[in-house]
Amino acid sequence: MITASQKPINEIIELLEPYKKILILGCGTCVKTCFAGGEDEVAVLASALRLSFKKMVRPIEIEEMTIERQCENEFIQEASSSIARNDVILSLACGAGVQAMAKRFSKEVVLPGLNTTFIGIQESSGIFTEECSGCGDCSLATFGGVCPVTRCAKKLLNGPCGGSQNGFCEIDPDTQCAWHLIIERLTTLGQLDNLKTYIPPKNWNTSLCGGPRKLIREDHII
Amino acid sequence: MKINTEPKLTLFHCLNSFEETASMFDGCDAKTIKMACSSMTKDVHLLRAFEAGADAVLVLVCHEKGCRYAQGSMWAKKRVDYVKTILDDIGMDGRRLNIFNTTAKDSGSIKDIIQNTISQLETIGPNPALNHFN
Repeated sequence: MITASQKPINEIIELLEPYKKILILGCGTCVKTCFAGGEDEVAVLASALRLSFKKMVRPIEIEEMTIERQCENEFIQEASSSIARNDVILSLACGAGVQAMAKRFSKEVVLPGLNTTFIGIQESSGIFTEECSGCGDCSLATFGGVCPVTRCAKKLLNGPCGGSQNGFCEIDPDTQCAWHLIIERLTTLGQLDNLKTYIPPKNWNTSLCGGPRKLIREDHII
Repeated sequence: MKINTEPKLTLFHCLNSFEETASMFDGCDAKTIKMACSSMTKDVHLLRAFEAGADAVLVLVCHEKGCRYAQGSMWAKKRVDYVKTILDDIGMDGRRLNIFNTTAKDSGSIKDIIQNTISQLETIGPNPALNHFN
């Protein structure tokens, strides 16, 4: 999932300064799972904003709505009548969702209510960890399902480095050494020989450093 | 800023941690909200109590080891702490929201908690979102 966290409320209040009718639009998929932009978070933010604006004696109208996904036109459509009756959309979606809204409603102001953080998983209740950098050239098959590009601080493809200490990374004692995990996992799978094969330098052209990427599926285009 | 009328108090409680007795709410205009377990304490409900006019909100929950559903009191404390930070951030003063571990039979302690909350409101002042003085 894509994880995100809510912007500090005072930053949101500042963003909303010029507007009187606000639609807080939640996104019910990834950012809901990480407690940043689902229905509950929309309700809490709306309530906090109403209190804050009342305190400032500033009349304001807030409408709350959550759609399934803000990154898909099919679901965005549901919000059109709510969008029409408000001055601004405060989107509690990831960066992709905010931009999809801005593209679909080109004359409306769409503001981000979240800071998008990473592609990750919920490791345990309330703890989310980054697992994928979207590098465009997945090598998880070689590395036993542990991504060194994302999970090794140095992005080493030939680790571990000297900073691996008892299974943890020198940059942070709470971060597991990805290479320690890779070797443990390959040992368990009986695939440690994977590391004897030559791994060429990574082709970063597929990653973001080649500019914004586009995925084209000709079989879905008419 | 002093409250000129009786302070408004909203009290959320687990049904095992509170029982109303006579004169318990002397000196305040109170509203009680019963929950089957304090784990039902939700951020938005606490905030909406302030929107509805509460000057202070109390959450009474069982003692951590006494929760029939194991973790209810702990979850309630997490929610309350979170909402306190929101209240501080928006300048509402997080001190007007508090959580206490109580038992239904200990009405004396509960009365003290309520009276202390009323006294504390003398310092904190009324709910600033209600524009009492505008």
